[in-house]
Amino acid sequence: MFDQFVKNVSGEQMYLIFSLWIFLVFFVVVSFLLFITKKQHTDRMSELPLEDGVLNQPKFIES
Amino acid sequence: MQPEKFFYDNKIVRNFGIATVIWGIAGMSIGLLIAIQLYFPGANMHNQYTTFGRIRPLHTNAVIFAFVGNAIFMGVYYSLQRLLKARMFSDTLSAIHFWGWQLIIISALITLPLGITTSHEYAELEWPIDIAITIIWVVFGINMFGTIIKRRERHLYVAIWFYIATFVTIAVLHIVNSVEIPVTFWKSYMVYAGVQDALVQWWYGHNAVAFFLTTPYLGMMYYFLPKMANRPIYSYKLSILHFWALIFIYIWAGPHHLLYSTLPGWAQSLGVAFSIMLIAPSWGGMINGLLTLRGAWDKVRDDVVLKFMVVGLTAYGMATFEGPMLSLKQINAIAHFSDWIIAHVHVGALGWNGFLTFAILYWLIPRIYKTKLYSKKLASFHFWIGTLGILFYVIPLYWAGFTQGLMLKEFTSEGILKYSFLETVLRIVPMWVTRSLGGGMYLTGVIIMAYNLTRTALQGKLQANEPAQAMALEPVATIVRENSWHRRLERRPIQFMIAALLVILIGSFVELMPTLTIASNIPTIASVKPYTPLELQGRDIYIREGCLGCHSQTIRPFRSETERYGEYSKAGEFVYDHPFLWGSERKGPDLARIGGKYPNAWHFNHLMDPRLMSPGSIMPDYDWLISQDLDTTTTIAKINAMRKIGVPYPAGYEKVANRDLDIQAKTISADLATNHIKVSSRKEIIAITAYLQRLGQDIKANKTASK
Repeated sequence: MFDQFVKNVSGEQMYLIFSLWIFLVFFVVVSFLLFITKKQHTDRMSELPLEDGVLNQPKFIES
Repeated sequence: MQPEKFFYDNKIVRNFGIATVIWGIAGMSIGLLIAIQLYFPGANMHNQYTTFGRIRPLHTNAVIFAFVGNAIFMGVYYSLQRLLKARMFSDTLSAIHFWGWQLIIISALITLPLGITTSHEYAELEWPIDIAITIIWVVFGINMFGTIIKRRERHLYVAIWFYIATFVTIAVLHIVNSVEIPVTFWKSYMVYAGVQDALVQWWYGHNAVAFFLTTPYLGMMYYFLPKMANRPIYSYKLSILHFWALIFIYIWAGPHHLLYSTLPGWAQSLGVAFSIMLIAPSWGGMINGLLTLRGAWDKVRDDVVLKFMVVGLTAYGMATFEGPMLSLKQINAIAHFSDWIIAHVHVGALGWNGFLTFAILYWLIPRIYKTKLYSKKLASFHFWIGTLGILFYVIPLYWAGFTQGLMLKEFTSEGILKYSFLETVLRIVPMWVTRSLGGGMYLTGVIIMAYNLTRTALQGKLQANEPAQAMALEPVATIVRENSWHRRLERRPIQFMIAALLVILIGSFVELMPTLTIASNIPTIASVKPYTPLELQGRDIYIREGCLGCHSQTIRPFRSETERYGEYSKAGEFVYDHPFLWGSERKGPDLARIGGKYPNAWHFNHLMDPRLMSPGSIMPDYDWLISQDLDTTTTIAKINAMRKIGVPYPAGYEKVANRDLDIQAKTISADLATNHIKVSSRKEIIAITAYLQRLGQDIKANKTASK
């Protein structure tokens, strides 16, 4: 079935196939980078919005 | 080492906040006015400057660039400083950015009702304002990157990645979509023509939604939602995947706005494929946001700010599910040009952009004024009337879109079209009335919010310079080697910007370059000739009046359309159309083949009072076209400009163009006189009649040949 598809695909449809391949490669690379990212780093990064360094915050304003 | 003490600039945040509320009310009020005009054309106050075609772009520009734009800058200026633990790079640049942006909005407020427009949707502002936008955007960029460079936090949080991607992509989109040749100070022609112009416009239009209405809001969601819920984002790893996948895929999806058009088939397929893939990163972001509230749903019950966030995120999920669905060809065949699209857009605009903006305003204004919100009850009332307003807005429009889309395709058992276009319009008028009620409810909520926030500000005092402290940034030499490539990228803003730029350029190049550069993608038609000077002037009146806000000029290859409008459109028909005028809505019938269908007298009477010729029509009167003289002093400049961008007017033709214009105008005027209509050949109505009578005539010559 795949062979049939590849043989029948017209020249301009190669743009489409080529584009999907680019994305697949890109997606795999980003996923691999995520896989090797340490949890310690992501934990630290996800805490950043909660540490804004503001001084003398009034008590009635919840952090 | 002692922590460094510094101050956050809250004044600029407050200024953008005020502008957000003021322009929000203005933009939504204009939206309500044009919604009413759809079933009560007299609501234009019989004034050309307040008529649907001219102020529809004012509504879209006001809500996108004035309301949402100011909200973006408010959120970015607040969160950027705190995530980087640094004051903005330059207070002067902040002020230039703020006032420059407001002046651009005011210039839109003046020029669009005057009919000064490029006609490119969401990019209607003329070339001098385009240049001003570029300058102010660069000022914003310098201020943002200057702040990043002087930061006290080594790694850039995910919200800042979204801000960087927004900055760089909007710059690329704006520049490419604004390549136009000036004719006069307030008039220009797009360099691209026809199909190419359509592709560039919808590559821009779709990605304006992506990178102006979505990515900066996702950045704000990643900052403000953890602050509001007082807990970190659910998954930081998911946010990384969300970011890269979203910006990569989004840029390819533009052609789904041009399905069944004369755009090359491969480009349409590409748009569909990537649109469907887009649901994955979009929902990844929504789920990441909603799961941040895990264990905090009890807070949602009591906290109106979180309620706004939850409905906003849900609306984002609905809109990003519906977008891919609408890009499926079978669904698009019914939904395109109908109110279904307007409903889809407003789920995103009212729910996602609106509700997130309100949440941020309710959260942020009390904090910078060091006080409590004036009234939680009023905020809660705003939430409920806003939510009901969205429902009353979108449900009737879904109904209307589906009803009209199907009616237009229905044939009788004898094989003829069952309904006239006007019958389909009259059927959905009750839905339009209900929609304006929903819009009115939503606007009421915003006005109540403005009152609530004003009272909040009055009871507190702005802390213009908020004290803060943080450790100085450690020298690069002290950083332990980071094994993760992405982690290293997170502390290199310039490389990060280049990476984001490359990601969005890949899709742009693959999609745009073949259509812009390969001649075989646009087969030409020998019988298609440039417009005569009078037709060209008439076309510019058509653009000025915003006729494309209601009338398309492209016929899709469906039997229901070819029976109704005539032969389906060909790419070669539009090669001299700078800009293309295919439109995106059909409140009235398609006009691609209107030429020669009716006599000149019919057009005159129809423009003077549409209900004379089409009883029940919702089109406004265009009686000012009868009284206003055509400005022929611009003809020479227009012919010269068109020739420069490839329209084959003979050398020196500009010198005799007005003579030809006069001859054609007198012919039409004489023809009208035979029908007892006395009108001078110098009037604008003669020019627009000439243009309308030309539409579709070339293809009828039926002499096709490849150049």
